[in-house]
Amino acid sequence: MGVTCVSQMPVAEGKNVQQTVELLTRKLEMLGAEKQGTFCVDCETYHTAASTLGSQGQAGKLMYVMHNSEYPLSCFALFENGPCLIADTNFDVLMVKLKGFFQSAKASKIETRGTRYQYCDFLVKVGTVTMGPSARGISVEVEYGPCVVANDCWNLLLEFLQSFLGSHIPGAPAVFGNRHDAVYSPADTMVQYMELFNKIRKQQQVPVSGIR
Amino acid sequence: MADVLSVGVNLEAFSQAISAIQALRSSVSRVFDCLKDGMRNKETLEGREKAFVAHFQDNLNSVNRDLNELERLSNLVGKPSENHPLHNSGLLSLDPVQDKTPLYSQLLQAYKWSNKLQYHAGLASGLLNQQSLKRSANQMGVSAKRRPKAQPTTLVLPPQYVDDVISRIDRMFPEMSIHLSRPNGTSAMLLVTLGKVLKVIVVMRSLFIDRTIVKGYNENVYTEDGKLDIWSKSNYQVFQKVTDHATTALLHYQLPQMPDVVVRSFMTWLRSYIKLFQAPCQRCGKFLQDGLPPTWRDFRTLEAFHDTCRQ
Ligand SMILES: [Zn+2]
Repeated sequence: MGVTCVSQMPVAEGKNVQQTVELLTRKLEMLGAEKQGTFCVDCETYHTAASTLGSQGQAGKLMYVMHNSEYPLSCFALFENGPCLIADTNFDVLMVKLKGFFQSAKASKIETRGTRYQYCDFLVKVGTVTMGPSARGISVEVEYGPCVVANDCWNLLLEFLQSFLGSHIPGAPAVFGNRHDAVYSPADTMVQYMELFNKIRKQQQVPVSGIR
Repeated sequence: MADVLSVGVNLEAFSQAISAIQALRSSVSRVFDCLKDGMRNKETLEGREKAFVAHFQDNLNSVNRDLNELERLSNLVGKPSENHPLHNSGLLSLDPVQDKTPLYSQLLQAYKWSNKLQYHAGLASGLLNQQSLKRSANQMGVSAKRRPKAQPTTLVLPPQYVDDVISRIDRMFPEMSIHLSRPNGTSAMLLVTLGKVLKVIVVMRSLFIDRTIVKGYNENVYTEDGKLDIWSKSNYQVFQKVTDHATTALLHYQLPQMPDVVVRSFMTWLRSYIKLFQAPCQRCGKFLQDGLPPTWRDFRTLEAFHDTCRQ
């Protein structure tokens, strides 16, 4: 498990989501990257049930339950800005039992699916983000396996991203700045996906989003 | 066999000594015979005891006498091997069948040859040290003067000395931790952890580094039974490349007479990988080339280069 950067790739001018994904993967293949199966990251939103909120009328906290095909035996439960719990996949069954406390938000499921590419020590995953039946955007994940400290290899990652993302250059993920020289963990990747999904959800609320 | 005398053996005394040994052996066996037979039948108990004690005393006296005689003779025989310049191996020259087993002449030739080799190696090493461009060259110049004769025995340094050298290096570099173990007898194995960047397994023979394997900080360096895994390579191309370069460095840093300087130079060079992912190439200015960061470190300046960007 190395350092991972998750970013959103805007849809190319005059193209739809699918065409832009094809453009990206073709660039990767020209670079010499090899196809290595597929990947999937999904996320479901839960909010605290009204009955547990009490009389203070405080707003319910949102909890995100996520899965990542890279860690098929794990389930991730995250709060925004809060702790990240890494549990066995049985956690999903537990969530059903906790219906009285956490309720699944309707039609909240969002996921990204796509192809996994290997290039030298880099692992690249280009995915189509979908909510329900429609494609909402493009996710680009780049993992650099040999390095474990995010700040050590950010410049190197950036140079690699530029080599196939072209003019679109993402900023450093917020989780990179959190701890100076801490060892990067899978939870950091899930936080990045959660933030990406939230961003895409908000874009969806605006009718003139980048979907053509 | 007449010329054997010239070796310095007193043959007369020699044959006398052999008969003295025979006499001593028979008197000793008489003592045991006497003890074995015990007390013979006599009329009175007192008579039996007296006769036995007297007999036993006689026998012991003759053992004593024969022993003294042997000791006197052995001084006369002398020590033949001490007189020969090649000690006991000189006795090989006494072999009468030279044609079939020319061991002695071969031995002399080998001895001369190895003497010459050592002499020439010493001269060559002195010359090379003056021409050296390595970082360790300056330190060498100073110590070369007070260095005594060449010592080819660096392979048999005491483990305690090796421990001291390694722990001194360990203290020299705070971002580098060195763990020494001896799973296979006297040869030491080091597990070097450099920051949160990489781990290196170093297999030593005395103070010489035999083999190194570089792996990632998050990679496993142990086998299933908990021993250091000195055979499998890293899963990452970047560390496979660094392993190759480290092996090259082992061949570069060579000072057979000062192995501790070699280990220190190697570790200093290795330490420059602390910026493996942070240092751009000093030639092309980029981080990546063919998906790899600058994996080469110059032996003198420790600057980072891509494998293909170094001269
Ligand atoms: Zn270069």
